Amino acid sequence: MGDYIVSMENIYKSFPGVKALDGVDFNLRAGEVLALLGENGAGKSTLMKILSGVYTRDAGEMSINGKPCGDISPKQAQELGVAIIHQELNMCRHLTVAENIFLGREKTRGDILLNSQMEAEAKRLLDNLKIDISPRQVVGDLPISKQQMVEIAKALSVNARVLIMDEPTSSLTAKEIDDLFRIIRELKQSGCGIVYISHRLEELQHITDRVTILRDGKYITSMNFNDTTIDEIITHMVGREITEKFPRLSCKKGKEIFSVSNLNAGRLVRDINFTLYEGEVVGFAGLIGAGRTELTRAIFGIDPKTGGEFMLDGKPIYINKPKDAIKAGVVLAPEDRKKDGLCTKLSIRQNLALPNLDILSSRFFGVVSKKKENELCKKAVESLKVKAHDINVDAANLSGGNQQKVVVGKWLARTSRVVMFDEPTRGIDVAAKVEIYNIINELKAQGVAVMIVSSEMPEILGISDRIIVMCDGRITGELIAENTTQNEVMTYATRFESKKSQLEETK
Amino acid sequence: MNILKIRGMPAALTAFAGLIIIFIVFGMIDPVVFRTANIQNLLRGMAIYLLIGIGQSFVLITGNIDLSIGSVVGMSAMVSATLMSRGVPVIPAMLITLACCLLVGVLNGLLVGRAKLPPFIATLGTMFMARGVAIMVNGNRNTGLISGETGISSESATTFRNFFYFGSTFGLFNTFWIAMVIFAVFFFILSKTRSGRHIYAIGSNVDAAKLSGVNVGATITKAYMVSAFCAFVVGLVRVAMTGMGFMEAGNMYEMFAVAAAVIGGISPMGGTGILLGTLAGASVWQTLENGLNMIGAQVGIQRLLIGAIVPLAVLIGVTFRRDSSIKLISKWFVPSNKN
Ligand SMILES: Nc1ncnc2c1ncn2[C@@H]1O[C@H](COP(=O)(O)OP(=O)(O)OP(=O)(O)O)[C@@H](O)[C@H]1O
Ligand SMILES: [Mg+2]
Repeated sequence: MGDYIVSMENIYKSFPGVKALDGVDFNLRAGEVLALLGENGAGKSTLMKILSGVYTRDAGEMSINGKPCGDISPKQAQELGVAIIHQELNMCRHLTVAENIFLGREKTRGDILLNSQMEAEAKRLLDNLKIDISPRQVVGDLPISKQQMVEIAKALSVNARVLIMDEPTSSLTAKEIDDLFRIIRELKQSGCGIVYISHRLEELQHITDRVTILRDGKYITSMNFNDTTIDEIITHMVGREITEKFPRLSCKKGKEIFSVSNLNAGRLVRDINFTLYEGEVVGFAGLIGAGRTELTRAIFGIDPKTGGEFMLDGKPIYINKPKDAIKAGVVLAPEDRKKDGLCTKLSIRQNLALPNLDILSSRFFGVVSKKKENELCKKAVESLKVKAHDINVDAANLSGGNQQKVVVGKWLARTSRVVMFDEPTRGIDVAAKVEIYNIINELKAQGVAVMIVSSEMPEILGISDRIIVMCDGRITGELIAENTTQNEVMTYATRFESKKSQLEETK
Repeated sequence: MNILKIRGMPAALTAFAGLIIIFIVFGMIDPVVFRTANIQNLLRGMAIYLLIGIGQSFVLITGNIDLSIGSVVGMSAMVSATLMSRGVPVIPAMLITLACCLLVGVLNGLLVGRAKLPPFIATLGTMFMARGVAIMVNGNRNTGLISGETGISSESATTFRNFFYFGSTFGLFNTFWIAMVIFAVFFFILSKTRSGRHIYAIGSNVDAAKLSGVNVGATITKAYMVSAFCAFVVGLVRVAMTGMGFMEAGNMYEMFAVAAAVIGGISPMGGTGILLGTLAGASVWQTLENGLNMIGAQVGIQRLLIGAIVPLAVLIGVTFRRDSSIKLISKWFVPSNKN
C-alpha cells in the first residue's frame, strides 16, 4: 500500500538470550495515531528503537516515506523525519532546557553557538505547548513531569513526520496530559504519523485511530480502534481474558499498626497525621507535586525531618536513616526505579537480595548463602512473573515494567509491618498490574499495613479501602473508597491554601 | 544577569574567595609574599598548573580522566630538547613535538571514545607509554643544553627561553601571558561553541547525547587532544626554564591537574564546572606552594597541607553548590529582583 509513511516487515531482533522481536510487521499512515500495545517485554520499545535508529535489526525490511532503508543511525532517522520520546527519560540534567532541546542540532554561526536564538525558539515551542518553564532553567532542577514535557518539546522541535511516544504520560499530570492530547490532535491534522505506546488503556479513546498489538515479540493483530473494545484489546495483549481489573479482598479492619503524628519535612511535608490499620490498604491521592513521594521518603528516613513521631504496634520508633526503617519493618518501594529502586548494573538476583542480605547471610562472617538466595529469587520471580530468561542478567536489560516488578519484589521477601508503594504500577501492563494488586491484597490479608501512592485515579479508587488526599504538602481530606468519586477526590486534591493565608503564615 | 546563576560560577567564586584568604594570610605572616617580584613568580608558577588544569578539565567534564598528562609533559620536554640539542631549529622542533603529543591525545581518544575502555585504564597505559618515549628518545639520558655544541645557536636558544620562560611583557612573565591566551581560547571554545556544548552533554548523560546525534567518540577525542596540547606547551616551558630536557619532567602533573580542576569546582563525575574555576584552583594551589615556601615550611609539611586542601575544597564546594547555600549567597550579594 502506498499511503504508509512507515512500513516494517518481518523484523527480527535478538539480544543475548532473548528473542525480542520475532518477525513483526508494522505499518503507519500519515495523519493517524496508532497505539502500539502489548505486555511488558512484548518488544514495543525495541521495535520503535529500530525505527528510530537506536538499534539495528537482525533481519527484515523497513521503509520510511516509501524509500527502503538499511541500517540507520539516530541522526539519520532524525533527518528522515523520525522523532522519538524515549520511555526512560533521556536528558542531560546539567544542561538547560534550551540546551537539551537543541542538543545535537545546535544553531551556530561557524562553530559558535547562537544561544539567544535557540532560547527564543525554545520559548516559542514551550509556549505553544503551554509549558510554563523558562528555557534557561537547568533540567535537573525540574520535577519529572516537567522534564517529560521538555522531552516532548524536544521531539516536536525537529518537525517530525513520524513521532514516536513511548509512554509519554506515565509521569504527567492530568492537565499536562490534556495539553499533550491537544498537541497530538494538531500534529495529526498536519499529517504527522504518531505512534503512541501506553499501558494506560483508558486514555486511548481520546486520541487513537488504530491499534497494533504485540505479544512475546510476535505480531498479533491490527485493528481500527472504533471496531474493537478495550476488553478485546486486553485479551489480545495477554492471550487470555482478564475478568477483574481491580481484584478486591475485603478484610476486617483490625488493630492500629502504624501512626505518624505531626510529621514535618520541608515545604512538601507539613503537619502530617495519619494512622494505618491492620487489614486495610490506604491510598494516597493527589496531584503530582503534592508531596506524597516526599512523605514516603521522610517516613523511610531518606530526607531529614524537622519534627514528628512514629508509633509502630503501640511503641514509639525512631527512624533517622533507611536502615532504621527496614529494621523496624517499614519498607518503601520507590517511584523512580532507575534512580532509587535498582542497581541497574547488578543482576536481578543481586538486586532482589540486596535489602535482604541480613536474612540471607550467616551470622558471623556475613557469607551469603547461595541456597537461600536462590530460593528467595525463585519465589520473587515466580510470584511476580518477572519476564527474564535468567536471574543473572543485568537489571538494565529488563523491559521497564519488569524492572518495576523487581523493585517491588525486593521487599516482599522479608516480613515487614508497613509497606509503602510509591506508584507501584507505573509502566506496568494490565496483567502485571493485577498481579501486583494481588500481592498487595495478600499483604493486607497477612495483617501488614499497606500504603500506596498513585496518581492513577481508577487505581486509587479500585484498590484502596481508605483514601488520604494531599495537596501542596498537607493532608486535605480523608475518604472511604467505597463511598467516594473521582470528582470528590479531585476537589480535595486541588484545595490549595489561599495566597493570603500563606502570606500570613510566613509573617 | 545574575552571575551566580551561571552554572559552575558559585564553586569558582568560592575558590577565588579561598585564594584571597590564603594569599592574605601568608602575606600577613611574611610581607615578602606581597612584593611585586614574588607576585610575578607566583603568576608564572600558576601558569603551569593552569595549563595542565585546562587540559584535565576538558577531559573531566566529559566524565573521563587523563592520567597521561605528566608523561606527555615529559615527552614534550624530551623530544623538543633532544631535537634542539641536535641542531633542529626551534620551529620545526616544536612542530614535530606537537605532532607527537597530539598523537597521544588521539590515541587516548580512540581508546576511550571509540573502543570504550575505561579512561582510567586507557590513560594509565598511555601514561607509561609516553614516559617510555620520553626516556627512550635521547638514549635513556637527559639531554644536554639545547644551545650546546651540536645544538641550536645560542641566540635562538635565548629567544626560545625568553619567549616561554624568562622574558616578560607588561611587567609579567611571558609564561603567564601564554597561559592566559590559551585559557581565553579554550574558555571560549568550552562555553560558546558547539564542541564545548557537546563536551558538557556527554559528561552529563552520554546516552542522551548519543541519541541526540552527538558524535561521542569524536568529541571525547577532541577533549583528549586539548589535554595533550596543554601538556605540550608545559613541556616547552620546562625546557625553556632549564635549557635542557629532563626525562622525569612533569612527573605527577596529571594529579596536580586533577587537583587544580576539582578545587575550582569541576566535577570528576562530568557535566559541570567552568574553566574560571580551574583558574582559581590553579591559583590556590600555586599560592599555597609559594606561601609555604616563603615562610620556610619543609617539603613534607607542604605536601601534607596542600594535600588536605583538595578534599577540603571539594567539601566546601559541595556544601556551596547545594541549592540553599546558593540562595543564601545570592541573598547576601544580589538584590532580589522579585517583589
Ligand atoms: N538492551 C537490551 N539487552 C538485552 N535484552 C533487552 C534489551 N532491551 C530489551 N531487552 C529485552 O527485549 C524484550 C523486549 O523489551 P522491550 O523493552 O522492547 O519491551 P516493551 O514492550 O517496551 O515493554 P515495557 O512495556 O515494559 O516497556 C524484553 O524481554 C527485554 O528484556
Ligand atoms: Mg518499553
